[in-house]
Amino acid sequence: MRYETLEFKKYDEVMYRYEHSSGLNCIVIPKKGYYKKHATFSTHYGSVDNKFIIPGDSEPTKVPDGIAHFLEHKLFEQKDGSVMDKFAALGSRPNAFTSFTQTVYLFSCTDLFKENFELLLNFVQNPYITEESVEREKGIIGQEINMYRDDPGWRVTFNLLDAFYKKHPVKKDIAGSIESIANITRDTLYKCYETFYHPSNMVITVVGDVDREEVFEQVERNIEAGESHGEIKRIYPEEGNELHKAYVEQNMPVPTPLFYMGFKDGNYKLEGPEIIKYELAVKLLISMMIGRSSELYGELYDKGLINSSFESDFTIENSYAYSMLGGESVNPRAVQESLVREIKKLRNDGLKPETFDRLLKASKGRFLRQMNSVESIARSFINLYFKGVTLFDYLDVYDKMNFDYITEVFDKHFDIDRMALSVVKGMDKQQLS
Amino acid sequence: MTDTARSQENLNKLFEVNGITVYNIKSRRFKTNTINIFFQDNLNKNTVALNALFPSVLRRGTHKLPTLKDINLYLEELYGAVFDCGVGKKGERQIIHFYFEYLSDKYANAEKSNFEGALEFLLDIIYRPALKDGSFNPQYVEQEKTNLKMLIESRTNDKVQYSMERCYELMCREEPFGLYEYGTAGQIEVITAEELYKHYKEKVTTLPADIFITGELDESDMEYLKNRVGSIDRGVTKGLTTGIVKKYIDKVEYFEDKMDVTQGKLSLGFRTNITPKEDDYYALMVYSGILGGGMHSKLFQNVREKAGLAYYIFAGLEKFKGLMIIGSGIEFKEKDHAKDLIMEQLEAIRAGKISDYEFEATIKSLETGIHSLKDSQLQVVDFNFSQLVSQTHDTFEGILAKIRRVTKQDVINVTGKIQLDTVYFLTSQEAEAV
Repeated sequence: MRYETLEFKKYDEVMYRYEHSSGLNCIVIPKKGYYKKHATFSTHYGSVDNKFIIPGDSEPTKVPDGIAHFLEHKLFEQKDGSVMDKFAALGSRPNAFTSFTQTVYLFSCTDLFKENFELLLNFVQNPYITEESVEREKGIIGQEINMYRDDPGWRVTFNLLDAFYKKHPVKKDIAGSIESIANITRDTLYKCYETFYHPSNMVITVVGDVDREEVFEQVERNIEAGESHGEIKRIYPEEGNELHKAYVEQNMPVPTPLFYMGFKDGNYKLEGPEIIKYELAVKLLISMMIGRSSELYGELYDKGLINSSFESDFTIENSYAYSMLGGESVNPRAVQESLVREIKKLRNDGLKPETFDRLLKASKGRFLRQMNSVESIARSFINLYFKGVTLFDYLDVYDKMNFDYITEVFDKHFDIDRMALSVVKGMDKQQLS
Repeated sequence: MTDTARSQENLNKLFEVNGITVYNIKSRRFKTNTINIFFQDNLNKNTVALNALFPSVLRRGTHKLPTLKDINLYLEELYGAVFDCGVGKKGERQIIHFYFEYLSDKYANAEKSNFEGALEFLLDIIYRPALKDGSFNPQYVEQEKTNLKMLIESRTNDKVQYSMERCYELMCREEPFGLYEYGTAGQIEVITAEELYKHYKEKVTTLPADIFITGELDESDMEYLKNRVGSIDRGVTKGLTTGIVKKYIDKVEYFEDKMDVTQGKLSLGFRTNITPKEDDYYALMVYSGILGGGMHSKLFQNVREKAGLAYYIFAGLEKFKGLMIIGSGIEFKEKDHAKDLIMEQLEAIRAGKISDYEFEATIKSLETGIHSLKDSQLQVVDFNFSQLVSQTHDTFEGILAKIRRVTKQDVINVTGKIQLDTVYFLTSQEAEAV
């Protein structure tokens, strides 16, 4: 059994990588002394992949919105019943989720790892979808869509994406809509499965106190090599850098308005560690401007314009990038205006190197802290993997991050013409009457 | 086996002084260390809001770090240390929790241990807050009143959580447990800075406190810890009452709220009449697991999977107060149908219809759940603190052994004690009353 070992001695971490003949990678990150063993089997296939050219075809295939998530649901049904029951009999907790760019199947167990892992490898590779079960699933997913419709936090997020994007499918709910899922058929599900669930488009991670060689041997035995399909061409609409809308508002029964604001970013065409370097830079800049130790945060907090629910994030994928900042506020417009003023001020006065140094140190500490949790390690790892980066590349990026680069990214990302605001708030009294 | 890496991870009681008990859980697995300080008080309608508010004001500043900004600068310098505080409830106790997590010295290139500074910071937060004219800064108090009122009013944003809490609160509206741990917006509104300061001074000097430290302490850390905790100015420690658990129900009550929602939430609240100190508590854990503790459970299999009536459905225990709740998300028109089918599942267990699969998957799932807690420092601390609150003094292994001894007959035996008390339905403005 041949595999690659990458050691990070200073941090007491190590990673083993084994490559299966199909092109599939299996990564083991050992956590000695941990009780939980956490495994994932993921495909580089999410809600944004709704138009693509199947390897060997000449014409693009267009599929209904929400199909990746629908397929995730369907894989849990097997010829001999629900795979959930088999995991439950082993006392483990299987789960799955679909994001914009991935579908992840996972379990966490404290006993019988081999049996659980075998189940995971087998069910993801053996779809059993009937027409009758597809129809039944439409009802269940319809309920899920309704649940998200009632969730103001979910709405305020997707409304901001709608403000950013005119056409890009990232603006659409991951589960699709009642109308779009009505068009999903058994045949389309199989077509998507055959296209995106080839081992070469997938990755396996195992985090916990496991025997790596046993894990790799199990992968070797259980993965159907199949012939390689070649590259899947994913087609995303030409989006341009302009906003779709600068402001979106929705009325929902919330006691305090919820808001997200952010910047649509056209600088997503990066490769490998450059991606996380850019990501880290944007996150540091957000902290420098409006993080908890900033003048602006203190001022807004004192004025009652933000509270401890205020948070921020930055997302970068190969066809889009954006930042999001928000929480609850009685006056989201005022928060936006203050941030705009701060950006203009910093453009004039310049960023402070000592603030950068301190926040870089804090960020690195919080990165190491996340290594305490097997789930966090796995989640972050998969999120980066399909971008061609590993979690541990961050350690190098932290060492190389510098103030000049930060200054450069500041000018690139925080473009006020690409700033949008999304607000969810209760009805005004006048509207009610 | 790797048990040597974990063998030291048991709870060690270090010492007790002036009503403060200090514990250590040694561990080398984690990249961080934590310090947790818990105060407990009786849940009481006259003090619940005051207890919720004072930690929010304390977090605003200490005598050395008088603003939020100063505190955050300090945390960032310490490699992004994390500080938080808040309130919760366990049965009829209100819990006030202060939390600090910092990178272990090994990864922080520290020349000397960061423990002293961390403990000093947390004790400063509690005992040496930023003051103005000998009392809390009125500006901080007003701002935190506003934030807390907002938090209370935003409860309804999370309908899944809210519908279950609301069910319990209606069910226990005449008992302390029926109080929301943050109080009401009306109670918060009328609190003055002077009143709050006086209340705070009394509480931090008289409420019983427990300190849990995770990570390794060397000799000098230990000496510092003893001296520092011993020097805290404390009064006479208050004795707390034990909550009421047993209650006989003669009539099921029904409540309904209407909100702008597209999915109904049906919650059923039960009295189990069993405390964690009783032998049949472990059979109750298994009972609740068979009924609604995961995908193997009767509720999930029959109400969600077979009948397709619920998007989600589960049962859970509030062990301190001896309650059980069933939470579910359903279509408005299915309320009665869903309730009947839920009650059929309880009846099936009472009648002894428990398959080997249901029973064994439940035991396995409880084992997984308990072992999993051990991989989180916060959950290890919460587990051990909960043992103090319920006065059970169990270890992870002790609980596992007791669960493994439970038989199907033990499970059937507890069904006689469990009574439906309250049915709560969160529905839409438009849904027709059936």
